[in-house]
Amino acid sequence: MEIVLLRGAAGLYLAATVAALTGIAVRRDFPSRLFLWLVGAGLVLHVISIVIRTSLVGHLPVANFGEGLSLLAVLLVVLFLAVQLRGPLLALGAVVMPLVFGLTSFASVLKGGAQPLPAILHSVWLPVHVLLAFLGDAVFAIACSASVLYLIQERRLKMHRGRSVLRHLPSLERLDQVSHTCLKWGLILLTLAIVTGIVWAHEAWGRGFWLTDPKVLTTLLVWALYMVLLQGRMTAGWRGRWAAQLTIAGFAVIVVSLVGVNLLGLGIHGRAF
Amino acid sequence: MSQRIVLVGLSHHTAPVEVRERVAFANGRLDLALRGLVALPNVNEGVIVSTCNRVEVVACGRDPDAVAAELPAFLADAHRLPADELASSLYTHRDREAIRHLFRVAASLDSMVVGEPQILGQLKEQYATAAAVGASGRVLHRCFHKSFSVAKRIRSETGIAEKAVSVGSAAVELAGDIFDHFEDKTVLLLGAGTMGELTARALLGRGAGTLMVANRTFERAADVARELGGLAVPFERVGRMLPHADLVISAAGGDLLVRPGPVEEAMRERRGRPMLLIDLAVPRSIDPAVNALDGVYLFDVDDLDGVVAENRGARASEAVRAEAIVEAEVESFWTWLQGLDVVPTIVALRDKMEGIRQREVERHLTALGSADPRQREAVERLTRAIVNKILHHPVTALRRHQAVRGESFYVEAARSLFHLGSDEPPDDEES
Repeated sequence: MEIVLLRGAAGLYLAATVAALTGIAVRRDFPSRLFLWLVGAGLVLHVISIVIRTSLVGHLPVANFGEGLSLLAVLLVVLFLAVQLRGPLLALGAVVMPLVFGLTSFASVLKGGAQPLPAILHSVWLPVHVLLAFLGDAVFAIACSASVLYLIQERRLKMHRGRSVLRHLPSLERLDQVSHTCLKWGLILLTLAIVTGIVWAHEAWGRGFWLTDPKVLTTLLVWALYMVLLQGRMTAGWRGRWAAQLTIAGFAVIVVSLVGVNLLGLGIHGRAF
Repeated sequence: MSQRIVLVGLSHHTAPVEVRERVAFANGRLDLALRGLVALPNVNEGVIVSTCNRVEVVACGRDPDAVAAELPAFLADAHRLPADELASSLYTHRDREAIRHLFRVAASLDSMVVGEPQILGQLKEQYATAAAVGASGRVLHRCFHKSFSVAKRIRSETGIAEKAVSVGSAAVELAGDIFDHFEDKTVLLLGAGTMGELTARALLGRGAGTLMVANRTFERAADVARELGGLAVPFERVGRMLPHADLVISAAGGDLLVRPGPVEEAMRERRGRPMLLIDLAVPRSIDPAVNALDGVYLFDVDDLDGVVAENRGARASEAVRAEAIVEAEVESFWTWLQGLDVVPTIVALRDKMEGIRQREVERHLTALGSADPRQREAVERLTRAIVNKILHHPVTALRRHQAVRGESFYVEAARSLFHLGSDEPPDDEES
């Protein structure tokens, strides 16, 4: 049942992607309104699917890769809608929604029967740590999307490119500001995720081996990279292209660690996340 | 014909900006110039159109050659220029051509950027000045109001003005690609020419917070700054103002004003906040190398052209439809204007009476059944005499009033009372 709902959500996300792309090209009201309705409908199906799954397995469904991707996707949609509160950003939707569609459809085809969670992971820290970490990832995904748009728009302006399909992109200033805000919130969430992770690991295993876990190492790398970027933005006036490139690089590390660690099943995060 | 319209002027088609600048009428000086214009011996009515792209004098008088001869000297005198200096730039249109030209100007078909919306407002403003001074009269009143309604018709019936594509709106469009909000942005205007002023105006209209104006002659900068609500900056201090400028509009010709060095320094001080530079000058006044700097976006006139080119292409076909509307409206106005003439009116009046007379004579002679040629001759003479006696006073009055006061009131009254010609009902004049 929840898989059907998940596939329905994926279909709506795909339709939303098409609507967003159409909306950018023709700049009419209708596609952008349709876009929001499609995203909203997709989100409703998606949330119901996750709720059903949660009641089935009895805990936050993050025991396998598919469940994790689904949760990440739903958080991404919620955050994307939150960003829209400060004014519509259809172009951002054209980057984020394909990503959401990819995550959701991948999650729906992964054969993930309900797996029992290892006893050692049964803890109040599970939902806290996982939600914080995923929220952080989702926020960085939005920062990365805005940065991609920034680079496209910046290049178009530098080349004095005429009026192409891309002419309806948001302003550099808005994109930079979205990216900057996301960077700040992402760092806060990531920091909290790391702290709760340490506490949880300490409770579960005591001091020790988790420090060499590949996921922990890549996460610390991302954290350091984004910390440097935020520092540069706030004190040295880093912005624009350089900041956008660093944001994208940071997110690339996140993707590598997400996909790499879980597909290869490395370390303690390897079994689930 | 009693009232002939003559238009003498120069525009961006015939004169470079240096010439146009020198003959432009400042707003405050328009009253005086208009009084001087109607004081000319052969001019009955006059309106002066003065924008950044054109200076034109529209005048009305009985002798078009005499009016056309007076106007160039008037333009030169008003600006204390030698008369022959303007000769090569001036064009003269009469009658139908003058009307057509005015209609095309109002509809922005003759503008540097076809379809730009500013011209109609400027025209209305300057016509209002002429009307307030009493320089425009019956003919030009009708002519200008007709031009406004033609412009309105073209605007609504063709797609010519669908998107504003003046340089100013192109600049606004570009600025919107870089900046999200404008209240906290500062515009630095280099060179206080009309082109730059219009662009600055457009950006202020979009909400830009602060304007700084720098010009080689400080007084001119101060004038423009006062008019637009900005801040005049000494030309030598432009370099020090650069870090504060989010948008730089350069319309100052001459030499290379903005070089990469100072801009790079400014960008450091701006901590990377983006800067948009628009170079309207030809030859260019901003070093193209500036565009290579991080966060700096430079557009010159040709790039702006690219921004508006697509719209302009779409407009060409709309312009054809617009020209057709102009032609039709010129014809209708021309008919009205001719109607003001006394001779055709008298001819039409006589024709009408003669027609009535002949029809009635024919009808009644047939009814009487009399075919005697002598009787018939007597009836003809009798009716002709009656018609002539009735028409005698109206025709003399028409001739006298036209000759003495150059007025068309009686002509119009006669045409209306006797229902002569295809005189259209009074226009739905907007004001």
